[in-house]
Parts: sequence; structure tokens; C-alpha cells
Amino acid sequence: MPRKKFEEEEIEANMLPVMNVMFLLIPALLMAMEFASMASINVSPPKFAAAAPAKDEEKKDEKPLNLKVFVMEDGFRVSADAQQEGAEAGKAQDSKQPTIGLAKAGAPLTDFDRYDYKALEDKAKKYKEAYPTEVTVTVSAEANIPMAAIIMTMDALAGRTCKISKALKGEKVPDDCYFWQPIVEGGAS
Amino acid sequence: MSPEQEAFLAKKKEKAAARRAKPEEKGTLGITSLMDIVSILVVYLLKSYASDPIVINPTAGQKIPMSSADAPIQDGIPIFVTTRGITFDSKKIVTMTPDGDIDPSQVQNHLIGPLYDQLAEEVDKAKQLAERQGKGWNGRVILVGDELLKFSVLVDVMYTTGRAEFSEYSFCVIRKS
Repeated sequence: MPRKKFEEEEIEANMLPVMNVMFLLIPALLMAMEFASMASINVSPPKFAAAAPAKDEEKKDEKPLNLKVFVMEDGFRVSADAQQEGAEAGKAQDSKQPTIGLAKAGAPLTDFDRYDYKALEDKAKKYKEAYPTEVTVTVSAEANIPMAAIIMTMDALAGRTCKISKALKGEKVPDDCYFWQPIVEGGAS
Repeated sequence: MSPEQEAFLAKKKEKAAARRAKPEEKGTLGITSLMDIVSILVVYLLKSYASDPIVINPTAGQKIPMSSADAPIQDGIPIFVTTRGITFDSKKIVTMTPDGDIDPSQVQNHLIGPLYDQLAEEVDKAKQLAERQGKGWNGRVILVGDELLKFSVLVDVMYTTGRAEFSEYSFCVIRKS
């Protein structure tokens, strides 16, 4: 049987198309990656009595709302004008019961959707309609409440569709933004 | 050596001679694609830096809470607070108990001692720098907290930063898409 003739050939791989594809893949992959887009919620510390000396000059019909939301393990306690929502007139609060109960009763604290944010947002909307110029709300909580629940509470009070970034640059505040300037106050431990 | 081997070597020599006789070709490198990728990367990076002037790199294992807020992060000093510790200027300065509370030896009447010392030093530096540049110092602190961070810890951190002359606070959140 005759042997096959072996002819030595130098084969040079053409790497150029591969390199082209590889180099174009890098930005494609970089763009496909999801980078977390950061934002911020600007909060204020509580204002003290010394900061409001011109109270006497204020007109009586411009009474501030003083909306306060206290996040508890069993719901939200909402109070306005130093009176708890639903309490007997003249009483700051009539019980330690929440104004808005939990959406998921019995859910652990780590379940951030346990609160009824929708009901809170509806209440904020109602207050906003009555006090259209008010933008601040005091938020406080019990010691064990996780930060995510506080943030979601702030979102509900501001309005979950509220886009405030343009208003911060001087444009008109959108109508769906309610109480978007939270004041964080220490709560009961 | 067999005749076959001789023939093979002769052919090899011929080939080598032909290769040597061949005029030297200049290799060319296609840099068009390289230019494409560099241009795309530059535009992409420029866009990223222009939209996010403050870069927040969370500490390992930290889960930043999600929010519908869309306000951009303003210039400030970041403090990373997780359920395992408080990190400032890339140094872990406060440790937490397994329950996620601040180590009781490091906090007194809501004031977190090690954090206050670090912040006071930073404030002095920042104030001096602002004075030299003829600018006012804005005492803004960016609190990069964990989603499980307890409210009591958050209040202690805010109280401590307030004592260190910071007057503006921002909670860093991840924007919901």
C-alpha cells in the first residue's frame, strides 16, 4: 500500500476576526451588566423650639399640620396637629394601638412588605389635599424596626410615584408628591 | 539515510531558500476595532461619571435598601452602617453585637465614641480645607445603611454625626427601576 505523501504546510491562524469580535463583546457585556443606580433621601434632624421664635406673628388660620408617623411592630400610628388619628378630641393619643394595621399580620420584621404602605399613602394624600403647602413629615419608629421599612414608609409618605429630582432643581413640585421632606426623630426603645 | 528522507530534506531546503528569497512583508495590525472599543468605553465611562459624581461602594455583604426616591446623591461624607459594624474612611471603627446593636462599650447616651472621634478629625480637616479655598463648609453626611439596620442604631449614628457638627443627612438608597 503506497504511503500518503505528507506535505508540510504552515498554517497561520487569522486571529483578526476573532479579536474584532472579542473587542466588541467587551462593551456589549459591560453595557449588559446591571449597575445599581443610587439615589438619596434627604432627611432633617428634629427642629428644636429655639428655631421657631416668630410663632406669635403667624396667622391663626395658617396652623401647621405637624404630621407625625410612628412605625411600630404592629403598624403605623399617624398623628396630625398633636392628635392621633381617630383619637378623642383633645387627646394626643387614646391608646397604643396603630392607626393603620399590618398588611401581613404575623409576618416577621424582616418582611418589609408587612406594612400597609398603600393605606399610609392614601392617608398622606388626604392630608396633602387639606394642607397643600405642607411638605414635611416627622418619622419615628420603634428601636427594632429595620431601615428598609423606614425607607418604604418615607416613600409612601412622599408618594410612591413622586419624582422630586426636577423639583430640587427649581421646577414645580409634581402633584403626586405629598410629604417629601422627612424629619427623623428618635423613637421609644 | 533513505532516498525518501533525502528527498524530503532537499525539498525542505528548497522551501527555506524560497522563504529567504521572498521580500520581507510588513505585518499590519488592524486597529479599527480597537479604536471602536476604546471610543465606546470612553463615552460610556464619561456618561457614568457625569451622572454619578459620588461613587458609593457598599461594604461586603451590605444590602442597601430600595426606594422609589430619585434625588441624586449630593456631595458629602459617606458612613457605612451595617448590622456587623460601622465603616468610615475604609476602616471599620465600630463593631456590633450579634443582635445588630452597637457594642455597649462603644456607645454612651447615644454618642458612639469611636465614630465621633473620627468624624471630629474629619470635620477639622474639611473646615480647614474649605477655609483655604474660601468656600463654606457644608456638613452633609451620606448614611449608607443596611436594609436590616435597626432604627435605634440609625438614630445613634445621626445623633453622633449631629454632635460632630454635621447638619444635613442623606440616606443612600438603590433606585427602583
